[in-house]
Amino acid sequence: MTNPQDRFQDLAPSIGESSIRTDPETVAAYAVDGMRPGAVVFPKDTQAVAHIVAYANRKGLAVVPTGSGTKIDRGNPPRRFDLVVCLSRMDHMIDVDTANLTLTVEAGVKFRDIQARLATEDDRCYLPLEDLETEAGEVVCSEREHRGSFLPIDAPWGDRATVGGIIASNSSGPRRLLYNHPRDVIIGVRFVSPTGAIVGMGGKTVKNVSGYDISKLMVGSMGTLGILCETTLRLLPLPERMETLLAAFDRLSDAAAFSDGILAGRLLPAAVEVMNRRAAAGFGSNQWPGAGDAPYVVAVALEAFDQAVARMKRDAASLADECGARDQTVLDEHRHGGFWLQAGNLTPAAARKYPGLVAAKLTYEMSRWKEIAALAETTLSAAGIAHTYMAHSGIGIGKINLLLAENGGQTASTAIDALNTLLDGCRRAGGNLVVQRAPARLKPKLNIWGAAGGDAAVTRRLKDHLDPNGIMCPGRFVGGL
Amino acid sequence: MDRGEMIRHLAEIVGAENVLSSDMDLELYSYDASLDKARPDLVVLPDSTDHVSRVMALAHREHIPIVARGSGTNLTGGSVPVKGGIVVHFSRMNRILEIDLANRTATVEPGVITLDLQSAVLKRGFVYAPDPASQKVSTLGGNFSENSGGPHCLKYGLTSNHILGAQMVLDDGTVFWTGGKALDNPGYDLTGLFVGSEGTLALATRLILKLIPAAEAVKTMLAVFETIEDGANTVSAIIAEGIIPATLEMMDNIVMRAVQETIDVGFPLDAACVLIIELDGMRDGLEEKAEKIMEICRRNRVRDFKLAQDEAQRAVLWSGRKGAFGAVGRVRPSYMCCDGTVPRTKLPRVLAKVMEAGRKYDLPIGNVFHAGDGNLHPLIMFDDRDPDEVKRVHLLGSEILKICAEAGGTISGEHGVGLEKLKETHLVFCHADLEFERRVKQAFDPKGIMNPGKMIPEPDCAT
Repeated sequence: MTNPQDRFQDLAPSIGESSIRTDPETVAAYAVDGMRPGAVVFPKDTQAVAHIVAYANRKGLAVVPTGSGTKIDRGNPPRRFDLVVCLSRMDHMIDVDTANLTLTVEAGVKFRDIQARLATEDDRCYLPLEDLETEAGEVVCSEREHRGSFLPIDAPWGDRATVGGIIASNSSGPRRLLYNHPRDVIIGVRFVSPTGAIVGMGGKTVKNVSGYDISKLMVGSMGTLGILCETTLRLLPLPERMETLLAAFDRLSDAAAFSDGILAGRLLPAAVEVMNRRAAAGFGSNQWPGAGDAPYVVAVALEAFDQAVARMKRDAASLADECGARDQTVLDEHRHGGFWLQAGNLTPAAARKYPGLVAAKLTYEMSRWKEIAALAETTLSAAGIAHTYMAHSGIGIGKINLLLAENGGQTASTAIDALNTLLDGCRRAGGNLVVQRAPARLKPKLNIWGAAGGDAAVTRRLKDHLDPNGIMCPGRFVGGL
Repeated sequence: MDRGEMIRHLAEIVGAENVLSSDMDLELYSYDASLDKARPDLVVLPDSTDHVSRVMALAHREHIPIVARGSGTNLTGGSVPVKGGIVVHFSRMNRILEIDLANRTATVEPGVITLDLQSAVLKRGFVYAPDPASQKVSTLGGNFSENSGGPHCLKYGLTSNHILGAQMVLDDGTVFWTGGKALDNPGYDLTGLFVGSEGTLALATRLILKLIPAAEAVKTMLAVFETIEDGANTVSAIIAEGIIPATLEMMDNIVMRAVQETIDVGFPLDAACVLIIELDGMRDGLEEKAEKIMEICRRNRVRDFKLAQDEAQRAVLWSGRKGAFGAVGRVRPSYMCCDGTVPRTKLPRVLAKVMEAGRKYDLPIGNVFHAGDGNLHPLIMFDDRDPDEVKRVHLLGSEILKICAEAGGTISGEHGVGLEKLKETHLVFCHADLEFERRVKQAFDPKGIMNPGKMIPEPDCAT
């Protein structure tokens, strides 16, 4: 077990020598919480993943799967860590069936490539196409249906994340209000179980009750129950019209009256996002001088038939006036796409400036959102921690970024205290607080997954049965699974 | 433990009057809406989570099978106690515990009738979307166990998409909560796993359901076609237009005739099929979309098109569909309702093959189904007094599922596997798939007492 190359050599005949990397540079690039794996492997298909996992299971090697690595920071530091399985080469779209509104893709396919593939002939796309940097591969565009369709998930890191990572982490954003989240969109999976078996469940039909709903079990399991290799997802026709109304407010109570008013009516917006000044300033508001230094901005995403968008815009605008909006504006389809893409990229964008950034997701009963928003504001202001706050109204989810330049000494303990106060608040409101990003050395002092739920014992039982040797992401998930 | 002692123990938990053991009682609990039959040893009627927990603990200690039951509308034998044991009938646990409109949830006991909850929330402007055809009788606990569908699944999804959390009782009586009113509790989506698990993993004693605001406007249309292909092409064309109706239901000639002979809903007796199309949502743009749909129907040679102008007309358009199953009883004494699903675009070809199979086995088949999501319900009509016919019904049912599986579909859209489809699971699952399911099952139920003999075939008949 001394030379890393030797440890993984046995894999070469089954997956190819070039798929195994042990050079220091690659290994360093795939470090998790500062820990380096012995090797990084790049399987080219599901069969290769099965070989790798079966091998790891035999040898008791700890495996962490990854795609683009956008969410690799999530979870506790690994208890053991030997092998990264990177699915970036598994990037084939197996079946794009726009007539049936289903899509089957390999897990390494990027979310943005899917949306581009589903765009219309004249480039109407759910993501703003020209904003997407093209890396190695060009954005795929072929076989487009005249009307266009899209994958109805509002994924953070929309321009980088892979579909496998989005599902494994159950990623969602504000537009979940209208479209639900990955668990409601996924209708089939093919994955490699922790013992190395290739298992497939579900398929191209929305209705399917032919066995346990294993797809759901894979959603949000963070790679602890196997490696997702292929997935089948539901699509929706591209909305006829997509626009966003932004309204700026001086007080949280006014912003709240506006967002609650919209949700109480008969309108069906795609998202109603309440954000503080720093969040709004983090993206998009520079396109809108009207927001100025308004402490709160509410963004209402409108994605529907032409006539419905027109009415929502009208009704929302007059409601914003009634609620004392300082200013308001409407973003057209192109700016709308850019706005929500950037909203999902707030954490990574801010982390570039604040390396000590701590990001957390707050959950609570949706009716309690004002109380939690106010608690976050008072707690973090009292602690002197600059922060962004975004509340997904009508869903019961809030996202905060603590904008910390570094995380030593006093700052760290203040941040930890503040997060614990918020965790208590969320618990009282029926929810929890999950730390989604934190510097590695802060992690041992944080409740990364919040407070344990009543299902902890059952969860462990299931994990022990499905991964008897504990090779999948040991230590990283809820309860140190 | 002998039977008498078992009855005494159970009586201590739920009260003597809530333990049923007479021959007649056991006969009454021996069947559901499927063709299968088997008697339980005893039936208990718990009134609380605590009752269920204690009954389970006892059964666990004594290795006795536990089969949960709601209203027994199951179509695949899920509530038939094939290995005997105790049937836990949830009829007394039928309380709507809370309707929390601020959080858009309802918390209920599993014995609540689906329609009762729906009526209670609709009065307050909200909807619990899953609407299985049996909603007047079926229970929410049964819907949970079977992941029930219904006409509105096309737009709103199945039961699974509308369950936020549940209080569950494990095999040994342990009670715990999964999910809740707040979303995304970290950990495995056990709620998602339990929904549709047919009572083989754990029993639900409380459910938190998601409510959505009732649609502002509804447009209901009925279109009659000369050929099945025209009807099916209309379905595809509507969706290609970017319109997702709330429902797209189809009935073929045999069913239309049966309905028309029962109640006069104005169906022409010589047409091939009828489509019921319902749009809902904000009122803005719905009128234009209804016109668009009419235009698509015309393009596909529609023979007759009706748009309901008010609630009364809407009820008339729906009455034919809702009465379809009952009307089929006029054609032959019995019917078996098959349930397979295929990708929507495969419907015309699959339907043709299904009818061909019916001719092969010399049995009439009527079709009434959810065309929008590719969910077929061929009704095989037969005489249950003729043993040869019954034998052919089973062969034909199996063949229909094979046709669905070969078309890239699946063997159950919304009725579950239960007993009836155990032998067809190999059409869609390989050895490793079933083995993984068995591991999941073992994690929850190591003694194999939770609805044994259902859903997953024994290892030896899997290959």
